[in-house]
Amino acid sequence: MPDATTLYLILPEITLAVFGMVILAVDLIWRERSRAALAWLTVLGFVIALATALLGWGWNMALFAQMYVVDTFAIFFKLLAAIAGILVTLVSLDYLRDRTPYRGEFLALFTFAVLAMMMMASSASLLMIYLSIEFLSYMSYLLTGFLREDKKSNEAAIKYFLYGAITSALMLYGLSLLYGISGSLNFADITATFAARNDVPTRIVALVSTALVIAGLGFKISLVPFHQWAPDTYEGAPTPVTAFLSVGPKAVGFAVLLRVLLTALPAFKNEWIALLTVISVLTMTLGNLVALRQKNVKRLLAYSSIAQAGYILIGLVSVNLNGASPFSGLNGVLIYLFAYLFTNLGAFTCVIAIENATGAVEIDDYKGLVKRAPFIAALFVIFFLSLAGIPPTAGFIGKFFVFGAALREGFLVLAAIGVINSVISVFYYFSVVRAAFFEAGKDTAPIRLAPPITFSLVVSAALVLVMAVYPEPFFNLAAWSMGMFGVAK
Amino acid sequence: MLDRYGVVALFAFMAVLFPAIPLVFSWIIRPKKPNKSKTTTYECGLEFEDFPEEAQQVWVQFRVQYFLYAIIFVVFDIEAVFLYPWAVAYNALGLYALVEMVLFLGILILALAYAWRKGLLEWA
Repeated sequence: MPDATTLYLILPEITLAVFGMVILAVDLIWRERSRAALAWLTVLGFVIALATALLGWGWNMALFAQMYVVDTFAIFFKLLAAIAGILVTLVSLDYLRDRTPYRGEFLALFTFAVLAMMMMASSASLLMIYLSIEFLSYMSYLLTGFLREDKKSNEAAIKYFLYGAITSALMLYGLSLLYGISGSLNFADITATFAARNDVPTRIVALVSTALVIAGLGFKISLVPFHQWAPDTYEGAPTPVTAFLSVGPKAVGFAVLLRVLLTALPAFKNEWIALLTVISVLTMTLGNLVALRQKNVKRLLAYSSIAQAGYILIGLVSVNLNGASPFSGLNGVLIYLFAYLFTNLGAFTCVIAIENATGAVEIDDYKGLVKRAPFIAALFVIFFLSLAGIPPTAGFIGKFFVFGAALREGFLVLAAIGVINSVISVFYYFSVVRAAFFEAGKDTAPIRLAPPITFSLVVSAALVLVMAVYPEPFFNLAAWSMGMFGVAK
Repeated sequence: MLDRYGVVALFAFMAVLFPAIPLVFSWIIRPKKPNKSKTTTYECGLEFEDFPEEAQQVWVQFRVQYFLYAIIFVVFDIEAVFLYPWAVAYNALGLYALVEMVLFLGILILALAYAWRKGLLEWA
């Protein structure tokens, strides 16, 4: 029987599970009358989950036969998940009202998706990792195909599902090899096995399984060559879901990747660094070059988010947890993910605000935006500056720590490729800004903003700017979150 | 040594005899009135000769309700899978298992209530 401490530590998960079912039940009982209340109930659930996640701060405990851990690293990602949940729920209100009658189901599924993200962040055994990734995947497929009448939404869901099914089979095979060689699902036992046995057959099996695990998680993070689903899925999915997919599963995908590579496979660090370096270069370059040719803003942001995953990967490649340098690579990844969360959600919120008012998602439709919605146009500039990594924005701080770690480790070429890619990205980000500011549009009707969307935009933009001007608290947050890897504080 | 094969032979003989007896017995006492419907392959209660000619092919379209029923069936199936071991070990497991089962059944009942409210239990 779980004791009180266990229940206390998994309070955020319990909260979200209860709220998900309550939302479903309330929707069943009151139907139409509860529609407006449901969204606020969902937000309340995420706020409570956020608060209860903070209660576990400073704990470092393995629960349920070492399958589930609650440590500062997991809590960092639970905070990310809850914040993403709040912001996406707020921006989805108006979008869903016009498009689907099944809003109760949407909010319930979305709550479960955030619950799955929290479970991924805490997973510490091969079995738990697989189950939580599948849980998140199923919720993502359903949310992607949620607009049943919309053919693009259906296509997006089918493509996402087929890619997901194949990569998850690959990853499961990799996990089964790890289990076969170590006889345990537990990370500590796997590390011990590889420390004790270093013969050639063991190494070969370990390398194959490492590659397969990276393939499975690379799908969630949308790394090249597992990225093909991303543009079509991002374009076809309901835009709030696209915003969620571009930050949520990506962030926790990195969490699992970090945990597996650093705690279960540190014996093969040189090998996975080599593999991930190649993937990182490919991901950045392909994402940025293809983004140059995009006409649809959702597709442009899809390729941009592929490229961003490449930058973040530089931090993982440059991980060095020895010494007191402020550039440990790991903190770069965490700071980058935190900055990216607000930046990308903010950029997508602008897209949603415009789509709600005009239904348009092409760059050409953004012409003359500064006259119609000066507020949105100005925020677009902030978010795109941040995505491109130009100060004074959060994106710059993220890139600073990630590229700094690469330089510290002596990966000069990798850092140079990253910087060149950032310069390329400025071109396509600012093609949208140019259309919005310097070209005259046909339509001149002003665009009205709903209060929840305004709130979410202001919060995102404020955090993007605050992180750049006063990064110290965020730097400390990342340092605390790394505590479980035996580093500082 | 050989007498042990005798046991096996006896067992095999009984295994054939037991199903044979009711078959033969019912063949002797039953009335014999065959019709077309009785001689066709049994297909979940659907009478194939009532269908038009083209529908008697193998590619029959089933109503989507079968699919929904199958999903709802899974709800009860899972329920039964957990209820039996719990019922058998009820005394040993105590209050904790009771609370767990109430939570578990609550979640499943929510699923059933959802299906009911959405009209999935009506055939029309």
